[in-house]
Amino acid sequence: MAFHSLRVVAATARVNLIMTWRFFSWTGFALRFFAPMMTLGAAWVLYNQVYQGTMSPEFENIIGSSTYLSFITIGNAFYVFVFAAAFVVGRVMFWERATGTIEATFMTPMNRLAYMAGVMVAAATSSLVDFAAVFLIGTVFGFQVASFNAALFLLSVALTAFALFGVGLMVNAITLSFRDRTTTSNTLMILFMVFSGIVCPIGLMPSWAQAISRFLPLTYGVKVMRASLLGIETFNVAQDLVTLTALGIAYFILGALTLSLIERNLKKKALLSVF
Amino acid sequence: MFLRVVLAEVEKNFKQYFFGARVLFWALALPLGNGLYLYFLYLPFAKEQVNLEFGASSFTMDLAGFTLIGQLLYSFFTMMLLAGAAFDRERQQGTLESVLLSPANRSAILLGGALANALNHIWLLIGVVLSWVLFLNVNVFIGDFLALAASVTLSYLSIVSLGMCFEALFIHSRRGTMYGTMLQEPIMFLSGLIFPLQSMPRALLPFSYLLPLTFGLVAVRLTLLGGASVTEVATPLIALLLMTAVFLALSVWLIGYAERSAKAKATLTQF
Repeated sequence: MAFHSLRVVAATARVNLIMTWRFFSWTGFALRFFAPMMTLGAAWVLYNQVYQGTMSPEFENIIGSSTYLSFITIGNAFYVFVFAAAFVVGRVMFWERATGTIEATFMTPMNRLAYMAGVMVAAATSSLVDFAAVFLIGTVFGFQVASFNAALFLLSVALTAFALFGVGLMVNAITLSFRDRTTTSNTLMILFMVFSGIVCPIGLMPSWAQAISRFLPLTYGVKVMRASLLGIETFNVAQDLVTLTALGIAYFILGALTLSLIERNLKKKALLSVF
Repeated sequence: MFLRVVLAEVEKNFKQYFFGARVLFWALALPLGNGLYLYFLYLPFAKEQVNLEFGASSFTMDLAGFTLIGQLLYSFFTMMLLAGAAFDRERQQGTLESVLLSPANRSAILLGGALANALNHIWLLIGVVLSWVLFLNVNVFIGDFLALAASVTLSYLSIVSLGMCFEALFIHSRRGTMYGTMLQEPIMFLSGLIFPLQSMPRALLPFSYLLPLTFGLVAVRLTLLGGASVTEVATPLIALLLMTAVFLALSVWLIGYAERSAKAKATLTQF
C-alpha cells in the first residue's frame, strides 16, 4: 500500500512537472514573481530614498545588526511557496472538474492524499526555481548572508512546505465545494502575506495582528530561515521548529479530514461534476 | 438609446455580481489586506507620518491614512482593470456574439459595466473610510470639500475610461483577466501607491505619469488627508481631466478596431 502510494506521488509529480515546464507560461511566472519583486523594490526605495537607511530602535533590537533588505528578501522568497500551496495544490480538484476529469480521477483506486502530495512535490520543485531567483535578485537590492546553517535552512523549507500542503488541502476542499476559482486562494495569500512577518518583525505588529500570526505556519518558517541565513540570536529557533512541526501536523490532519468529508458529501449528493 | 444600454448593463452587472464573493474580495478584503501589508512595510522605520510633495506643495500626513486611502483607490483601479475583461466573460458565457449582433452601442455596454463596478465600489469606499476613521484612528483632514469631490470624481472617470481601453485590448485575448491581474504589481509600484511619488527613481517617473492612478492618488491623498485646496491640487486635477478625455476617445476607436479585427479574423468566439 505504501509502495503504491509512493508510485502515485512520483507519477503525479512527474506529470505535473512535465505540464509545467513543457508548456511554460510566462504570464503564470509573472503572476507569482511580480509580487515579491514589487515588495523588494518598494523596500529598497523606502530604505534608501525615503528614510536614508534609518531604522527604528525597536527593529534593531529584534533583528540585531542584520540589514533590513536581507530581512525583506528572505520573507519574500517564501511567497512562491504560499503561491504554490494556494493556487496549485489548492485548486487541483477545481481544474479536474473544469477539464472534465474529476470523475475519472475519483474512480481510480489511488490514495487521494498521495495524489495531492504528488502535486505539491511538483509545485514545490518548480517553486524552488523562483525561490532561488528571488534570492539572486535580492542580492542586487542588498541581500547578504551573514551566516549559513544548512540544516536549519533545509528544515525551514521542508517543514513550511509540509504545513502549507495541509493548508492547500483545505483550500482544495473549499474550492471544490463552492466552485470558487480565485477568491479563496487570493484571500489566503493576503492573510499569509500580511500576518506572517514577511515585511516586518512580528514583535512590531499590533497585538491583534500578532495573535493571528501565531496560527500561521509561515510565521515560524520565515523566522527559522532568517535565523539560518542571518544568524539572528534573539529568535527562539527550537521553539519555532516545534511549533512549526505541530502546526504542520495539525493543518495536514485538518486538511485531509476536510477533503475526505467534502468528497463523500459531493458524491452522496451527486454534485461532483455538475451542480 | 445610449443611456438605456448603459443603464441596462449597470442593472445586469448588479444582478450578477453585487454582493458576490468576488466583489467583496476585490472591494473589501484586497484593499484592507494590502493596506495593512503596506502599513507593516513601514513599521521597521522610525516615523509614523509621511511627507508627500507635489510641485511646490508639501504635506505631512498620517501613515495609516496614506497607505489605506491609497489602497482604496488602487482597489478601484484593479476592479476597472478586471472590468476590462467583460467581453472575456461574455465569451465564456457564450453570449458574446449575441451581444455584438445587437444594435447596442459598444461603448455604452462597456461604460455600463464599468459604472456598475464603480458604483459597487463607492458604497464600500464610504463604509471603509468611516470604519477606518472610527476604529483605526486614521486622521482625516479635509480643508476643501470641492477639491475632494473633484479629486474623487476625476480619478474615477479617468480610471473608468482607461478600463474601457483595456477592454478593447483584452478582446484580442482569452487571457484578459490574467493580464489584468499581472499588471497589478507593476502599477502598484509605479503609481506611488506604496511610497511618496517624490521618492520614485527618476528613470521610472515618465512611466508613473502615464497612469491616471498616479495623479488620482496624489489628488485624493492631498485633499482627504492633507487638507489641500483646489488650487493646490490643480495640476493633478488637470492631468486627470486630460487623461479622461484622451482615454475615452482612444477607447471608442480601440473598441471599433478590436471588433472589426476579431470579426475579420473569425476569432470572436473561437481561435
